[in-house]
Amino acid sequence: MFENIASNRRKTVLIIILFIAFITAFGFAIGYYLDYRFGISSGYSIIVMIFAFILAVILSFGSYYYSDKIVLQITGARQVSKEEQPRLYYMVEGLSMAAGLPMPKIYVLEEPGMNAFATGRNPSNSVVALTRGLINNLDDNELKGVIAHELSHIKNYDILLGAIIIVLVGMVTIISNIIFRSFIFGGGRRSSSKSTGGGIFNIIFLVIGLALIILSPIIAMIIRLAVSRQREYLADSNGALITRYPAGLANALKKINIYSEVKKANNATEHMFIASPFGKETKSFFSGLFNTHPPVSERIKRLEHMSLQIGIKSDEEIMADMRHIK
Amino acid sequence: MLAAILAPIIIVVVIIVILLIAAIAIYNGIISLRNRIDNAWSQIDVQLRKRYDLIPNLVETVKGYAAHEKETLEKVIKARNMGIDATTVEDQSKAENMITGTLKSLFAVSEQYPDLKADQHFTRLMEELNGIEGNIAFARQFYNDSVLQYNTKIQTFPGNIFAGRFGFTPRQYFEIEEPQAKEPVKVQF
Repeated sequence: MFENIASNRRKTVLIIILFIAFITAFGFAIGYYLDYRFGISSGYSIIVMIFAFILAVILSFGSYYYSDKIVLQITGARQVSKEEQPRLYYMVEGLSMAAGLPMPKIYVLEEPGMNAFATGRNPSNSVVALTRGLINNLDDNELKGVIAHELSHIKNYDILLGAIIIVLVGMVTIISNIIFRSFIFGGGRRSSSKSTGGGIFNIIFLVIGLALIILSPIIAMIIRLAVSRQREYLADSNGALITRYPAGLANALKKINIYSEVKKANNATEHMFIASPFGKETKSFFSGLFNTHPPVSERIKRLEHMSLQIGIKSDEEIMADMRHIK
Repeated sequence: MLAAILAPIIIVVVIIVILLIAAIAIYNGIISLRNRIDNAWSQIDVQLRKRYDLIPNLVETVKGYAAHEKETLEKVIKARNMGIDATTVEDQSKAENMITGTLKSLFAVSEQYPDLKADQHFTRLMEELNGIEGNIAFARQFYNDSVLQYNTKIQTFPGNIFAGRFGFTPRQYFEIEEPQAKEPVKVQF
């Protein structure tokens, strides 16, 4: 477990360094462009690069402190009080005690689909968010299983990495888009330049442009590698250790697998949910390689194995529980 | 010549340094486990206090509807006072088991009073007490896990060397003794 925390810290630092390097390079590119426009000796490349570097550092610190709030904003989650949701409140309070964690804040997403996620920068500043559909359709043991799974993510510091990735990678994607577009639409004018420097400049921009075309899938790959699917299995088994009842989470996953869509979710936030917020996963091998989540059936199988089949609900029982929705 | 004299000295010094570092690591490990137990205990304590605060309230509410269940009510109060006075883990767990047991019989009694069951204040109290009951179970789980880790560490090699020297003694588990207390309090409305 401690290796896992250390590895998550390393990855977080790596992502931040990559982000700062990218923004600095971007600043240098703009400066270089200005130098080219106003004469090589004007020194814009250095000035803009330093400015970009400072901005990147500020943005990184900002995302460290505010990423969870940004994530909650994106998903439209709302904090609930003890009076509103006493059942939920006592479950989260009790389970966080069992996990040896400070109590996280509870947020609810007004969505009929069943899903959940955790976010925050550390256990003292953490959030567990659940959809309305999840609260309404799961029994106590199942809900405890899901909450314990999310608490394990908090304990393993998966949440910090996940939130930082969403904010920083999101910004890089936006900037990439801006450069890419300016490259496409501004390319014609630049190529008409008659100076010899223009030739070199065009080549450099061409290289940047090509790099960005390659970059987007690489960014996607970084997300998928950084949030390895192994951590879902780990959170499942740690969660089961907190509740001492693996069947609860197994049954919950069976239900979640039926209807897990979250409308407010997107590609950037996909990886932090307990199950894919885009509904049932495709079975093909190739798309399977790029899934952020391991197949739910495999996770259920492992939990059933852990529970020695005690308390596992049959498909009929799950369907009977679910009959009143939709 | 000089190297031949120095080599064994250096080796001995290196070994001593390594052993010292290992000893510090083990000692610190034991201390942090012991602190975790204290922290876990304070969490149980918080939940227990909450329950103590709710009980007089509950008793008053029940009195209004079921005054002649005096015996049951007195038992609840007595168990609560025992819990407040308890100083050792053993006494505390005994008292808590008693509170859980007496509350259970109080809830059973309340079943016979439809007016009481319809009382909103009573319903809310029951809800809170049930929540706290569950929380105590989870807090106890974490406490006992921590005690298990700590006790194992100071009773096995090499931790046991330190246990004697620095006076680390095994801690007590928070146990459930009475069989009827093992089930969480279930309430039907």
